[in-house]
Amino acid sequence: MKYAFYPGCSSHSTEKEYEDSTKAICKVLDIELVEVPDWNCCGAIDAVYSFKPLYSIALAARNLAITKKMQMDMVTPCSACYFTLNRTNKILREDAGTKSKVNEALANIGFNYNGSVRVWHLADILLSDIVLQKIKEKVKIQLTNLNVASYYGCYLVRPPKICNFDDPEHPTRLDNLVETIGASKVDYYGKTRCCGALLGITDEELALKMSKDILLSAKNSGANCLATACPVCHFNLDARQKDIESRFDIKINLPVLHFTQLVGLAFGIEPKQLGLQRNCVSPRKIYPLTMTSVS
Amino acid sequence: MSHEKDKLTAEAKTIQIGVRKKSRRDFIKEVMKMPGGEKILECIQCGSCAGGCPTMFAMDYSPMQIIKMINLGMKEKVLSSSTIWVCSACYTCATRCPRNVNFPTLMMSLRNKTIRENLVKDCAKSDFHKYFFEVVNKYGRFHEPELLVKFLDMTNFDSLLHNARLGLRLFKRGKLQLRAPKIETSWVCSILEKTDQKESQ
Ligand code: SF4
Ligand code: SF4
Repeated sequence: MKYAFYPGCSSHSTEKEYEDSTKAICKVLDIELVEVPDWNCCGAIDAVYSFKPLYSIALAARNLAITKKMQMDMVTPCSACYFTLNRTNKILREDAGTKSKVNEALANIGFNYNGSVRVWHLADILLSDIVLQKIKEKVKIQLTNLNVASYYGCYLVRPPKICNFDDPEHPTRLDNLVETIGASKVDYYGKTRCCGALLGITDEELALKMSKDILLSAKNSGANCLATACPVCHFNLDARQKDIESRFDIKINLPVLHFTQLVGLAFGIEPKQLGLQRNCVSPRKIYPLTMTSVS
Repeated sequence: MSHEKDKLTAEAKTIQIGVRKKSRRDFIKEVMKMPGGEKILECIQCGSCAGGCPTMFAMDYSPMQIIKMINLGMKEKVLSSSTIWVCSACYTCATRCPRNVNFPTLMMSLRNKTIRENLVKDCAKSDFHKYFFEVVNKYGRFHEPELLVKFLDMTNFDSLLHNARLGLRLFKRGKLQLRAPKIETSWVCSILEKTDQKESQ
């Protein structure tokens, strides 16, 4: 299996461990990821779009146009990119006016694009029947003592016309993955609630409260770790968890792992290779639960 | 004489009301042409959008109210509301709306309108979009440290301290890439130039 890999800006910098763990598990699963050469920012949901909509669409389209030349489907681990790229596909397929404007800009740099490249979320690939079966075979350590709250957030499942990974209100596919690696799933209120996304920068107070509600509802439902499938969500729930604790004067201390890191642990991959030392809320306390020989 | 004057005032009033009605109608028409505004007239005020919105407690008007206000042509109130900046674009409302009102996309379009027409009240929030754009335009990719530095409020000691703590936390774990991304960016300008041209058409 071979895909054009679009890491997205955060998986490449602040959430580098997401990319590392993605690559590590894909290697085990014989999924070849070919990085889109010279990829650029996807347009970042509303960040660029609100300022210059056409420009933002053209940015996303450039990535897709390069991928078209690679003649492969694209896969991204970032839900925000997954949304932005698929939104661009939809606009270019349905809105002839925008399509011709964007293509005039693309023509300037030697590309053209009409919305034909298929964009998958990494979770989608891992949860296809064939790969899931393979995951089952490759599991070395059953993570039986882990109660995992799978966090879907927004752009894996919403809006369903663009992001259709699973049911928008009651998604369960990540939970299937959790059970495949031997852990128990946790059902909780916050699994599709928004973490605040980019409000973390513009309105931190508000974003902290949104993330707090998610973390607490997972914890109160018995989770001992939370799994994300998006670097933006991971940043808000993990890197900012200390800020949440001090802002609201509470103790949460809930390790937040990229779902790829969990799968990696089950494969018996060294935590260091999965970048677990980079997680802000130390996942060390769950290591004994995974029964690995971690130093 | 006074009779004449009354007549004139009445006439002026009618004209005034006429102008106001027209500007309201124009606003509604304008919104309907924006991405996200296509279905606003179909809203049945059911409240599903407001009921599920995770940021409503921080808005001055709920999504349902904003749609009603747009449909009444209340341009100034809508464009100066905090709602358009507070929406986190989570798409919960759009997913549940029985009439397919695409509220979050409309909020992005309204942000764009207020920025373009210089109607912004809360500069910090609109500056975010500008800075983000500048960073992406410079490097071709997003580069967190540069955006955060642009965003720092140098006069607010508490916030500086708070951000320094976050920065340190990230730095200790090797999460803060101080080096800017290096990709070929000569193409960025030509995309910008062309799309700017098209945008203003
Ligand atoms: S959910 Fe849709 S129809 Fe109902 S009030 Fe909101 S915008 Fe109107
Ligand atoms: S998209 Fe915006 S308005 Fe709609 S539910 Fe989410 S935060 Fe609220």
